[in-house]
Amino acid sequence: MREQTSFDAIVVGSGISGGWAAKELTEHGLKTLVLEAGGPVDPNADYVEHVQPWAMHFRGFGDRKALERDYPVQRGCYACDEVGHKFFVNDNENPYTNPADAPFKWFRGRQLGGRSITWGRQVYRWSDLDFEANAKDGNGNDWPIRYKDIAPWYSHVERFIGITGAREGLSQLPDGEFLPAMQMTAVETDARAKILKAFGGERVMTIGRAAILTKNHNGRLACHYCGPCERGCITHSYFTSLGSTLPAAQKTGNLTVRPNSVVAEVVYDEKLGRARGVRVIDANTMESREYTARIVFLCASTIESVRLLLNSKSARFADGLANGSGTLGKYLMDHHYGSGASGTVPGFTDKRTIGRRPNGIYIARFRNVKATHPDFLRGYGMQGGSGRGGWGRGSSMPGYGAAFKDSLINDLGPWSLSASGWGETLPNENNTVTLDPTVKDKWGIPAARIEVRWRDNERAMDRDMMTAMAEMLEAAGCTNVRTHRSNNPPGHCIHEMGGARMSKTSNEGVLNRWNQAWDVKNLFITDGSCMASCACQNPSITYMALTARAASNAVELMKRREL
Amino acid sequence: MERRDLLRATGAAAALSFFGAPRDALAMWSRVAHGGAILGGLSEQQLALIGAVADTILPRTDTPSATDVGVPAFVDVVVSENDSDEDRAAFVAGLDLIEARAKNAAGNAFAQLEPSARASVIESIEAEADRRAEPARTYWRLKGLIVHGYFTSEPVMKEVLKVEVMPGRFEGSAPMPVRASTPPGGGAHRHA
Repeated sequence: MREQTSFDAIVVGSGISGGWAAKELTEHGLKTLVLEAGGPVDPNADYVEHVQPWAMHFRGFGDRKALERDYPVQRGCYACDEVGHKFFVNDNENPYTNPADAPFKWFRGRQLGGRSITWGRQVYRWSDLDFEANAKDGNGNDWPIRYKDIAPWYSHVERFIGITGAREGLSQLPDGEFLPAMQMTAVETDARAKILKAFGGERVMTIGRAAILTKNHNGRLACHYCGPCERGCITHSYFTSLGSTLPAAQKTGNLTVRPNSVVAEVVYDEKLGRARGVRVIDANTMESREYTARIVFLCASTIESVRLLLNSKSARFADGLANGSGTLGKYLMDHHYGSGASGTVPGFTDKRTIGRRPNGIYIARFRNVKATHPDFLRGYGMQGGSGRGGWGRGSSMPGYGAAFKDSLINDLGPWSLSASGWGETLPNENNTVTLDPTVKDKWGIPAARIEVRWRDNERAMDRDMMTAMAEMLEAAGCTNVRTHRSNNPPGHCIHEMGGARMSKTSNEGVLNRWNQAWDVKNLFITDGSCMASCACQNPSITYMALTARAASNAVELMKRREL
Repeated sequence: MERRDLLRATGAAAALSFFGAPRDALAMWSRVAHGGAILGGLSEQQLALIGAVADTILPRTDTPSATDVGVPAFVDVVVSENDSDEDRAAFVAGLDLIEARAKNAAGNAFAQLEPSARASVIESIEAEADRRAEPARTYWRLKGLIVHGYFTSEPVMKEVLKVEVMPGRFEGSAPMPVRASTPPGGGAHRHA
């Protein structure tokens, strides 16, 4: 039997966004092909969250020599460890470049499920404070949507995937459709109350909102608190496309998944003025083939989707497909993050935690919400947590012998509390993705050249994260309060956004308010590249909501024969 | 709960069976645990020193000692199979300096010393203010490896720490457990 090559819809990418596109399109009856550049993943065999340190040759330190050889970039991510590195790309096969004075970390996962297997699972809704920011301070372009446009889609997504959180009633951080909240530690509960009081209710420390089930939901089991989610989850208790949206799509009978399919180009039909489909290189055989469809959804991840468009050249679009505005590849963003403070919490030595909570605390944005900050525009949220040292403190603790050993086994040491900021980066035309003129990947596809720099607004915000967090820790009664300054280069937060932004008019962006390319009506881009600003919240839930919304609209357009 | 019970319980959710068969074998500690060679391993004399330091820091009590759970072999794996050549050379040179400290202070190789003499060598190194100067630098690295190797070993994780792989719950404000036994006497213990 010949392989089917013609579909109603093609989705490029099987991760957080691609899985949602697949689910929504197939449930609306479209025969949908999902193309994944990486290989298949079998959760039963490949997930490694329960592999204990004693079963690892280097006890969790990682095979340094192998990681340095094959994952010199990827190993900078905490999740690219001794057993989890298989969910990251081999850097030798997947090169990218950046100017020497503009370091950029691009952490990538090419496998079925994409980075939904390794993501941080934090989910925070945006508010109109975020959607109006560009219009108000003039950085970037005005978003073509507002909170009311996306709010029902947040609910739609949250109800399906299941998210945990506590309702706080904050205008800048709208509540979602929460499953029961995870517990705070005794130390965090105490700190929350003291910080609320010290700052007049303006600074709210809440339990993290995460795409993790705290009770059984939609056929998936509640979290069993084993800890290292980034290595997979056999019970699919945190959201992955592999365990949630793709099975739903499969159930419709309308889904075809093709792993090991590197999309080299979106093929543009000059006569019809539409995307005809995509050209794929088989990752193993290097064979080239074409698949066609009525609509194409790009969900390949921010930089990959931009790179794919830049590599899709035609007479009409010599500078990249759907680039009539000239903005393609511009205004790339990532969160600048990691500056903050930590302290020691006196007391609570009669308390401990049971289970490994794959979630922390979140301090909602408080800068430039009401009062205007003199040093910077926009704001940041803070993420952190508390804990006791346990046996790990023995590495630097003086002492030896039976009492030393007993202390490491039976005492847990003092509590510490820390948090760091995740800050909004201003959209800037000079933060770009282009094509490297010479470097190509293993499949002969021109590599991305990435140029992003932090600027004064980001640096000023970083400084404030440190002082503000130190103030909060002091208000919470911490001793030994110490600030830390992040040296993370752009990309390190793995919240790449922008490059194919949504816009109100066709001359200032790539996509309209429905994530539909202004210049190519049957082309939709719903991953992070569509973002016109980056707010300070972890972005994945917003990609999911935008994807579901765009898919629904695309189906409507098809029904109305406008596509 | 055992992992196979979880698999049984999830049934439908684990059903994406068209995505292939088991592929990768983990780089397992079992090679060393079953007596396999450590590539470019440390000498018997170096391992004896490491074992003696390890058992001075973590001696056998009502729980196993460091050498009982194979800590020297773990240190060897990290130093011989994971370190850069430069780091390994620095570590081996540092071991020689620790040994020299023992010979100068007590007239014998560390592993040949009585417990009280071993203790005073360790105390003298831990008393050094600058932990980046040798032999303190190598000593503190070794101590870190000893502690990590001990508490990540299978017997200690299972029998001593009684780590629950799948606790099935998170409690943020649980009481400390009632101690099963009082700490045995002996050995110095100073908090940082």
